[in-house]
Amino acid sequence: MAELSKSFEMECEILDRDHQELMQQIDKIVAVIDGNDDERCANLTPEMIKFAKQHFSREEALLTKVGYPDVEKHAAHHQNLDHKMETILDLAAVADENPLAGEKLKSALKFFLADDIIDADLDFKAFVKDREGG
Amino acid sequence: MEGLHIHGAAHAYGGNQVLTKISMVVPGGELVCLLGPSGCGKSTLLRLAAGLEVLQEGTIVIDDVTVATKELHVPPEQRRIGLMFQDYALFPHLNVIDNVSFGLIGMAKRKARAIARERLDQVDLADLTEAFPHMLSGGMQQRVALARALAPEPKLLLLDEPFSGLDTNMRASIRQMTLNVLKESGVATLMVTHDPEEAMFMADRIKILGHGGKILQSGDSHEIYYHPNNEFVARLFGFMNTIKGIVQNSMVQTPFGPVPANGFADGEAAQVLIRPEGILLAAGADNGGVPVEVNSTHLLGHFSVASLKIASDRNGAQEFYVRVHKEFLPELEGRITARVDPEQSFVFADDGTAPGEPMMDDLNILSPELKTLLSTGLEIADKDGKTAEAAE
Repeated sequence: MAELSKSFEMECEILDRDHQELMQQIDKIVAVIDGNDDERCANLTPEMIKFAKQHFSREEALLTKVGYPDVEKHAAHHQNLDHKMETILDLAAVADENPLAGEKLKSALKFFLADDIIDADLDFKAFVKDREGG
Repeated sequence: MEGLHIHGAAHAYGGNQVLTKISMVVPGGELVCLLGPSGCGKSTLLRLAAGLEVLQEGTIVIDDVTVATKELHVPPEQRRIGLMFQDYALFPHLNVIDNVSFGLIGMAKRKARAIARERLDQVDLADLTEAFPHMLSGGMQQRVALARALAPEPKLLLLDEPFSGLDTNMRASIRQMTLNVLKESGVATLMVTHDPEEAMFMADRIKILGHGGKILQSGDSHEIYYHPNNEFVARLFGFMNTIKGIVQNSMVQTPFGPVPANGFADGEAAQVLIRPEGILLAAGADNGGVPVEVNSTHLLGHFSVASLKIASDRNGAQEFYVRVHKEFLPELEGRITARVDPEQSFVFADDGTAPGEPMMDDLNILSPELKTLLSTGLEIADKDGKTAEAAE
């Protein structure tokens, strides 16, 4: 099972668990694209996106609870990911039959997880750690 | 995670803040392009990743190893990076194979030369191992530099304007070959360019860097081109026809008809930016557009550029620029109408700055044909000062 890299750890149990789950779901989709899993991208990807949206809601609730001052900005960031998620779903719908779409989907998923979700969340790592710890 | 992870990087030269809280991830096997005008800090970011500058704030991690923080600076030679500069920086006194094997420190000479040969074979230069740099064309030198950067099997490849020294024809083939080699090697690559077309061609993800070193948008080429999230990003890809107006009933009136302005309040000042290819012309037939008069047209190879105005606009206040993807001969046609392609038009708040102001001092970011087009547009804007005003 793949583990989150140290530089991506939030040191907040709820968020790290969500990120880990997302990573595992994405790893499974990548395994399908690489021919190492018999499932279908078209089935797995909508589930992953559904989980990502649930994660966004949980995260926004947590940030509100701990009084993070830029919670609205981060919620707007989540909203701005709508277009990327639509693209991912469009690619996934054809990736099982179309290798080019599969390769593009792999790339999009890597960036979605590492760049758009986890790295963006690191902006409030210190704040959340401080509040949760305190 | 394999690749590069930068978080919260900031850098200043004296009092000049060149990078502001930059964060990005370049996963293994992926290519990220930093695209922005001169002076936006993109080369500084590359130098920070390489260890050629000392990080003042933030973290840089390569393949799960932290190489830079405010307190830590791992020197460049210990970062397992490959670097390729704009001028290739080949050693003039070394032949091709010695240039490529130069960085294979601590390796037996025979093994180093075998690896160098493999890399040269990858870039189709296996026959020129004994040649010296001055005997090679610019394209060949670029390929030697690429082979040299890849020879030590770096964890991260950093490319600084790698194609800018090549002429237009050679650039297309060299960048295709470079992309093939990079994808084959599976190395994480961060490339800096001021050329939007180059970024769109090469990148899995583009990061737009604005003045002051802030990332303005991040996405694949389709997203950046068709869904720019602000005026600066939209204008980065070339000339824009600009129409200013006031939002009414969630629409901005343009000479071509109303354009939806979702998310804007009624009464808000807005500007509609339309790409030259976003004005669709129809000759003879009615495409649901407004009649226009064509002032001039120029065939530029695989497309034509035309300037036109709205036929009913008797004052001739605003001229529009259109790109047609074929030869366009309005002199042989009757009535011509124009409409706007909603996918190529964008509405942004009008904050009162001159249209395109951030980009006007940096024409180098534009492709040659758009430079020509934009220069023409500027000349007219300067002459009558009305190109940006709404033709209401």
